[in-house]
Amino acid sequence: MRRSIITAAVVLLVLAGLGSVAVATGGGSTVTSARLERSLTASFSQVYSQQARLLGHRGVTPASLHAKAMCDNGGSNVGPGSSWNCLMSFHDPSNPMPTTGYGKFELNVHSNDCYTAGSPSTLVGFQTITDKQGRTVNNPAYEFDACFDPGSSNEPTGVTFPSALTITTTALTPDPQGRATVAALCGTGADGCVGSIEVTTHGKKLGSVPFHLAENETAKLTLPQLPPGTKEADLAVTYQQGVGSSGTTLPVQG
Amino acid sequence: MTATSTLPTTAPVKAGTPGRPGLGATIRWELRKLRAQHRTKAVLLGALLGPVPIALVIHAQGRPPKDTLFGRYATTNGFALSLLILGFAAQWVLPLLIAVVAGDIFSSEDTHGTWKTVLTRSASRAQLFTAKTVTAVGFAVLTLLVLSASTIASSVLVGGHQALTGLGGQLIAPSTALKLVGASWLTTIPPTIGFACLAILLSVWSRSSAVGIAAPVVIGMVMQLVGAMGGVEALRPFLLTTPYEAWHGLLSAPRFTGPLVEGLLTTGAWAAVTLAVSFALLRRRDITGG
Amino acid sequence: MTTQLAVDAVGVTKAFGQVRAVDDVTIQVAPGEVYGVLGPNGAGKTTFLRMLFGLIRPDAGTIRVFDKSWDSDGVGVLDGVAGFIESPGFYPYLTGRQNLEGLALLDGGARPGLVEEVLEVVDLTDRADRKVGGYSYGMRQRLGVAASLLREPRLLVLDEPANGLDPAGIRDMRALVKRLAASGLTVLLSSHNMDEVEEICDNVTIMNRGGVAYHGSITDLRAMAPDPGHLLDTNDNAGARALAADHPGIEVERAEDGLTVVGQEAADGLTVVGQEAAVAAYVADVVRSGIVLRVFTPTRTPLEALFFMLTDQEVAA
Repeated sequence: MRRSIITAAVVLLVLAGLGSVAVATGGGSTVTSARLERSLTASFSQVYSQQARLLGHRGVTPASLHAKAMCDNGGSNVGPGSSWNCLMSFHDPSNPMPTTGYGKFELNVHSNDCYTAGSPSTLVGFQTITDKQGRTVNNPAYEFDACFDPGSSNEPTGVTFPSALTITTTALTPDPQGRATVAALCGTGADGCVGSIEVTTHGKKLGSVPFHLAENETAKLTLPQLPPGTKEADLAVTYQQGVGSSGTTLPVQG
Repeated sequence: MTATSTLPTTAPVKAGTPGRPGLGATIRWELRKLRAQHRTKAVLLGALLGPVPIALVIHAQGRPPKDTLFGRYATTNGFALSLLILGFAAQWVLPLLIAVVAGDIFSSEDTHGTWKTVLTRSASRAQLFTAKTVTAVGFAVLTLLVLSASTIASSVLVGGHQALTGLGGQLIAPSTALKLVGASWLTTIPPTIGFACLAILLSVWSRSSAVGIAAPVVIGMVMQLVGAMGGVEALRPFLLTTPYEAWHGLLSAPRFTGPLVEGLLTTGAWAAVTLAVSFALLRRRDITGG
Repeated sequence: MTTQLAVDAVGVTKAFGQVRAVDDVTIQVAPGEVYGVLGPNGAGKTTFLRMLFGLIRPDAGTIRVFDKSWDSDGVGVLDGVAGFIESPGFYPYLTGRQNLEGLALLDGGARPGLVEEVLEVVDLTDRADRKVGGYSYGMRQRLGVAASLLREPRLLVLDEPANGLDPAGIRDMRALVKRLAASGLTVLLSSHNMDEVEEICDNVTIMNRGGVAYHGSITDLRAMAPDPGHLLDTNDNAGARALAADHPGIEVERAEDGLTVVGQEAADGLTVVGQEAAVAAYVADVVRSGIVLRVFTPTRTPLEALFFMLTDQEVAA
């Protein structure tokens, strides 16, 4: 009995000691955005080349893709978690980048320096693909596991991508005074989203609304007063910072 | 007992000095005891045959167990299957298989009341300690080798030997993959020895086989948990379970061996400390029971 | 030059917590003698023997065996020493023979045929290939002796060798110890039974509560012993008692607890204490006077009486 109490006490002491080491060193995680950026571009280039081989696309090699990535976990950019997002661009003539210039990869990073990456299906397709012989096969680039060297360089890669502005509202609902709002989301990227939205209804310019959003920020922008009986509104977006679609047409309700 | 017995009438007077046993003889004695125990055979048999049904069952899954490393390809690739089992085995199977012998080899002398029997022969405590440690560690490594060979063989037979997608996304040719898979299993030798030493310490300390066998498994699982937690990654290098993941580097591109070296240092430190404490406890112990 | 002692333990002390299990005990055993350590259970005999074997470290005092000590010779102190403490421990999953062969490995190997020889000595040859797990207590005890003889010792240490044995087993064990002693072995024997020690030993140390209550030869001990006691019951106890006046060497008193005789309820009785010759003369007188003797039996031996005095009542030697 005495022996087990002593044992328990020693174990607790050791744990407390190690715990304070951990706290004192402030986490000390080897998971950083720089390492993820280097690892993800390398591993994606490999699986994407595999996919190209399966599809029979010629001329795609890991080196030819010139993949570049920028990773961000919406916080300190250090430590494991499932909130890591990486923006990556790569060069494949048969598969051009979207207007933003990059695709968004979602990463679940573990404390053991391994991660699972989920690719944007717009760029790499779905879980299964049809290979050049016509068989349905697993898509190696759709989701993949990789590990990085915790001793690898932690120098920032310097890769930045602009944030993408997305207008998330699908229909305008003006109040009795004819005022309507649109919700805008400024995605992961460098320097946030700055610019203005010009509103036109039935060929008539109503004015423009400026926006200034930080990275990963959403905002409600109040549009100029819509004349009664407006059926739809054209929004034209111009950017000083950030990227995104140049415009959209939204129906007006009520 | 009858009066006709042939007593060595001259022997006691003339002899009186039994020889000093060599370490080899002491180890031989430990091996004999080990061989006569059912649990020893059960562990080796389990390590030999266990992987076969496990490989078959995982291979037959409709959905691959994607949330574990190499699980994605476990149903379609034998090498991936064997690496998935490696990751799984390191969680608690290996500590358990090791502890069945290492966690019992000292405390079984308490169980049977035989400390006084062996300590009143001509072997010193240091000698017995060394022999038991060598035997326990040797058995742990043997078990690991049997388990590795059996797992790799049954996985490749069940899952096939196609090219393997590594942890850098790269395709690894089957012949290279086989070598890397073998090497990956071998990298678990150091932490396995570390766990054997931990089990020895717990066995010496608690004098109870139940503690000696169960505690290393529980401690291993706690270490896994702590190692997987965010925010306390500074502890990872000190954990005995971290070296069990060092093989990841062998399958990455480019290959890296930093964690292997670090793991070797970690397990070396664990082994040195646990064995030193164990020996100090045994050397100073008053054998009052049994 | 003095003769080398087989055991030379001086001022040995060991405490467990508050309890002094062995308190300043000195025991010296000459080569070739059969030495008894006698004491009730808990007197510290076993703790002392464990210290002799190095199983326990003494807090104070020195123990030398054939002029070797733990401090200077380590396990070498056990060269020439063998024995067992309390009941001998064996591996139940091994056979008797495997146990002996394994222990021989720890002795640096036994000469060929010795295992068979010692099995023969303790009469276990027939059972040697059965697992020890199925052995009776007495068989284990005998296997313990065999395991000790395997070391071909000069000093044999036996802790309560007859403990737990049935009367036949006790008789066999005593016979075995006597034969071993006759072969020239030095034997150190612990016991809580005066009879056993008296029958086998030359010298004795009586321990009580960790200390030494008596130390010397059995012969000297006998001289100190009170006269033997007897129980006497007749058809005229008062008359028999009156006759005691003619016999100054003896004491006759009413037995306090009465006397239970087969076929009768508790009867009155007399205790008769005196030397054998004087008691015999007295009893002859009683018979001659026409009194009918119903019971005449020795109660306890003189040494036993002394032993109880020395231990239970703490009478200093």
